[in-house]
Amino acid sequence: MKFQEELKDSIRKALPDLDVVLGWCGSFDPLHATPHFIRREEDIDKLEISPLSVHNLATYLPGLRGKKVGIVVKGCDSRSVVELLQENLINREDITIFGFPCTGVVDQAKIKKALGHAGNVRTCDISDSAIVIQTEDKAHSLTLTQMLADKCRTCRYPDAIISDYFVGDKIGEPAPLETDYAALEAFESLSVPERFGYWLKELDRCIRCYACRSACPLCVCRDHCAAESRDPHWLSQENNVRDKVMFQVIHAYHMAGRCTECGECQRACPVDIPVLMLKQKMNREIRDIFQYEAGVDPEATPPLLSFNMEEENITEKEW
Amino acid sequence: MPVLKGKELRIVGFLCNWCSYGGADTAGVGRFNQPTDLRIIRVPCSGRIDPLFVVKALMNGADGVLVSGCHPRDCHYAEGNFYARRRLEIMQRFLPVLGYEAERFEYTWVSASEGQRWQQVVASFTDQIHKLGPAPKIIGPQAADTLNQMAAAL
Amino acid sequence: MELVKYLKSADLKSWLQELARENRVFAPRNEGDSVIFAPFDPEQEIAIVHPATLPPKKTVFPQSEKLVDFTYSKDPENLSRIMIDGKEVLPEGTAVVFGGRPCDVRGFTMFDRVYLAEKSTDIYYQARRENTTFITLACEKPETTCFCHWVDSGPTDATGSDVLATVVDGGYVLEALSDKGSKLLTSTLLENGESRKDEARKAHEKAAELLQDAPDLSGAPKKVLQVFDTMEFWEEAAAKCLSCGACAYLCPSCYCFNITDETIGMKGTRIRSWDNCMSAQFTMEASGHNPRPTKAHRLRNRVGHKFSYYPDIHDGVISCCGCGRCIKSCPVGTDIREIVLQAIEYEPAVGEEQADEQ
Repeated sequence: MKFQEELKDSIRKALPDLDVVLGWCGSFDPLHATPHFIRREEDIDKLEISPLSVHNLATYLPGLRGKKVGIVVKGCDSRSVVELLQENLINREDITIFGFPCTGVVDQAKIKKALGHAGNVRTCDISDSAIVIQTEDKAHSLTLTQMLADKCRTCRYPDAIISDYFVGDKIGEPAPLETDYAALEAFESLSVPERFGYWLKELDRCIRCYACRSACPLCVCRDHCAAESRDPHWLSQENNVRDKVMFQVIHAYHMAGRCTECGECQRACPVDIPVLMLKQKMNREIRDIFQYEAGVDPEATPPLLSFNMEEENITEKEW
Repeated sequence: MPVLKGKELRIVGFLCNWCSYGGADTAGVGRFNQPTDLRIIRVPCSGRIDPLFVVKALMNGADGVLVSGCHPRDCHYAEGNFYARRRLEIMQRFLPVLGYEAERFEYTWVSASEGQRWQQVVASFTDQIHKLGPAPKIIGPQAADTLNQMAAAL
Repeated sequence: MELVKYLKSADLKSWLQELARENRVFAPRNEGDSVIFAPFDPEQEIAIVHPATLPPKKTVFPQSEKLVDFTYSKDPENLSRIMIDGKEVLPEGTAVVFGGRPCDVRGFTMFDRVYLAEKSTDIYYQARRENTTFITLACEKPETTCFCHWVDSGPTDATGSDVLATVVDGGYVLEALSDKGSKLLTSTLLENGESRKDEARKAHEKAAELLQDAPDLSGAPKKVLQVFDTMEFWEEAAAKCLSCGACAYLCPSCYCFNITDETIGMKGTRIRSWDNCMSAQFTMEASGHNPRPTKAHRLRNRVGHKFSYYPDIHDGVISCCGCGRCIKSCPVGTDIREIVLQAIEYEPAVGEEQADEQ
């Protein structure tokens, strides 16, 4: 990325006053990046910003409370930071935000599908329009826009919403590649039994590792999650599809009015369960009723923490 | 009103202690005839109701869920039902994505003196649930247990 | 007695169908974008070209299993007296698992040392383990996350398996490795495989050639233990860890569990379900005290157990089979290989060593 050196310079300047700066670096194969914790000057050189920088690093912020933390954010990640600030879960003065103009990150599941198998990647070169991946027996050339995560294809916030340092030129409001919630609307047009059966089928393979929860930047209960609580006993420990669905409903509802649709829940799932759709449904309803979008205004009050005596968009049932 | 014919369905009602539970009581004292599908759970306030109760009830075998609290501006705790209204409204709109009709769940307001209204709410909600029929049920621990049964029913 | 058979690829499903008459047969299949082991269904494709997303761990060690069914009853003479009637539920029937990889199946040998120990045998595990036969598929080539050869294994290591299947031209060479395995190879669909043995051996050699050099981990048990008290080391290693349980639940050799009573009304079941040391609840004590309060403590346990504490009491065997799932499926790419190597290379800062000795 063009601005990467500029970003490194900004981090170099800020690092003496910070305990750690969160960024990304290379991982176990050329197709993956991994969160990178920059503590020392020499760590800065390993920093790499690319369409592989998929992780939402805001997830680490509440756990680093009390430390001086720098964080490199994509536009979507900055919304999680805003939401955390809004909920007083982090202190603004402890956080130094490094923004850059994000042109989208990949969806590893899409790449895996396009390659057939992603276990033997030798090299991966990403240009503005293409990803060229060399596996042991073949070179694959993939169109970048097709490999982008769905959230990037509908992105309206490519530049960090808040930042202390911003490198590169801001993109402004891009033309989305897709309309919001198209997949959700297609799903909603299915019949009742189809929708009911879909979640049973998809969640049957859930192993209850709770990576969806742990990767979520706004799942801030951490070690005190309802999923494992015995009292109240929301869920049994059985390998039961009912409990698996129920947990996803709990997650979606606890995110109502807070979720920024960063998609970490779905990305983290080791068995590729499409759990983001439940949160999207919640968000779309909240947008329709309250004209509210989470994580764009640090001063805003989330809709479920306030009320109006007369609700404009709620029509109650007449009996 | 005629007693509903056919098999009773399971409807769970969450009623606030101060208004709706009293309203149901008033209906009882007044000997207003009501369908008997509803099972009432008394809670301190509609604001106490976690909307997840609704889903939990449906997933564990309820065919319908009714929440009733004090009328807006009339909450015993001043604003519990205002918060409840927002929460319950989004849950009602959320239900269809899970494969439950939104009409399986309603929330409303009944005061302690409104025995007549309570009767009307119960009757029409019960009727509404009977029109929808039994809710989809999860049978057994594996998805296949339910999915095979659903396929066989078609 | 060595029994070698040959099965044509086209006959694979028919053979599994035959086996399914008397056994529950598990085979890998596609579910969404993942490959998981599921009861064999002739209508569905068997997905064995690449290692499965989840190992077949659940076939012997289910995600949750009933241990006891119980009922409470009240004494009609004295209602405050509650009696409990419990009934043990032991697993029944035999199972065949087709298409696990050598690492997947070798994982059960890590279980065996713990659950089939002489002093205390886990009867639930034992019942399933003894009644399950593994037809393991030899690997042809390693993935970027594979490291079975680091931990004294390899792509064709059949430890723990009953039949080793090797892909050859047009089908599979099946070698029986145990009596249980021999008993499976009686179908008329199977041809004598003696003439194909060389082909299989060549495939094994080819797979071995593709491996890159492995570092020496013989010092790992001692080295990992040496950094036990160096919290700084573990804090850095665990910095990006999310403390979810994906690594443990995808691990063929992670065997920890939780026991809970799930009761409805007067009836209930005591169940055993998977648990993992990355969960905060894992070591939570009734008092509220948690001896592993942070993810650094938890990751230290996971790495330490596999590479130090387990080998320490089980003849130096590392309790990791190198399948690499914890790396590949980790949401943040935590690499256990990296952590172990760092521990081996770790040099305490000057002065730290002396402080330790005091």
